Amino acid sequence: MKFGILVQEGPYNHEASDSAYHFIQAALAKGHEITGVFFYNDGVTNTTKLMDIPADDRHISKRWSELGAKGVELIVCVAAAKRRGISPDVLIDNARIDGLGQLSELCIESDRLITFGD
Amino acid sequence: MSALEVGGKSIELDEDGFLADIADWNEDIAVALAKTENVDMTDAHWEVVNFLREYYAEYKIAPMIRILTKAIGKKFGKEKGNTKYLYELYPAGPAKQACKIAGLPKPTGCV
Amino acid sequence: MEEQAPRKIMFVNRRAPHGSIYAYEGLEVILIFGAYDQEISAVFLDDAVFSLKKGQDTSELGVKEFSATFRALEAYGVENRYVEKESMEQRGLTLDDLIMDVEVVDGATLRKAMGEQDVLLPF
Repeated sequence: MKFGILVQEGPYNHEASDSAYHFIQAALAKGHEITGVFFYNDGVTNTTKLMDIPADDRHISKRWSELGAKGVELIVCVAAAKRRGISPDVLIDNARIDGLGQLSELCIESDRLITFGD
Repeated sequence: MSALEVGGKSIELDEDGFLADIADWNEDIAVALAKTENVDMTDAHWEVVNFLREYYAEYKIAPMIRILTKAIGKKFGKEKGNTKYLYELYPAGPAKQACKIAGLPKPTGCV
Repeated sequence: MEEQAPRKIMFVNRRAPHGSIYAYEGLEVILIFGAYDQEISAVFLDDAVFSLKKGQDTSELGVKEFSATFRALEAYGVENRYVEKESMEQRGLTLDDLIMDVEVVDGATLRKAMGEQDVLLPF
């Protein structure tokens, strides 16, 4: 199945981001396709490389970037990112800033769109 | 951040040349903003700018281009209700140029 | 892209217009989606019915008042606009209190409509 993913919450503050990540891992392990991950609302703050995390905890933005390196498309909403100071300068590798139209494309191309939010 | 001198007053602009405070707008400022875009304001230009201001006053957003063309066509005649006509008036793009001159907030570029 | 039938996409607005950004950023998504020729619905339930209430004034909050923008939804291609009957009743609201025409549907009808969607987007 083709899954599109929408992440609406920021990292650490809320479980949505972790749940999305684990869902994607599980889906890929079962042979499903992830059409893309769209970060919206505070979800855009998952994608800053300025995160500095103690070694005994997961590094959420690094984890996303690694997923991106495996070919999962990571798309960060430009308008939501501008509001929250997520600029191309601070963006993790393997993610891109793009428009809301990309979320629309995900909704059209995917068999299911799964929202991880509050 | 830059500024625009209009009638002896200094009007603050953002880094893309849009009004920093949309409440500053008046027709003289519109003409000065048009100059920064190398646009000469004719009646046809004003039609679009005034329409954008009315639309913003009513809906609190700048209309998307396809909504704008449709509404312009309905109000001012079919021959004007297309992107070609609007791009002839505002070659750098009606969304950007006409909104700037009309003193509307900068579009977020979310399409 | 290959041809396919328009997708049925429903925006499920659940939160009050202010107090969090979901209502506003949700609205921004709805406006964009209208351009993609899909079958778009917007439903307002729980505190989101307040988003459509007349006479809002946010001047003391210092935030943008955007209720007027919901009135642009029809022109933006959002064909179906609903409020949930129970949410309206619980808050003492009637259609006369709202800034635009919407269809009032009860929870059971809404659940059925949700079941028929291809995509639900909650805000």
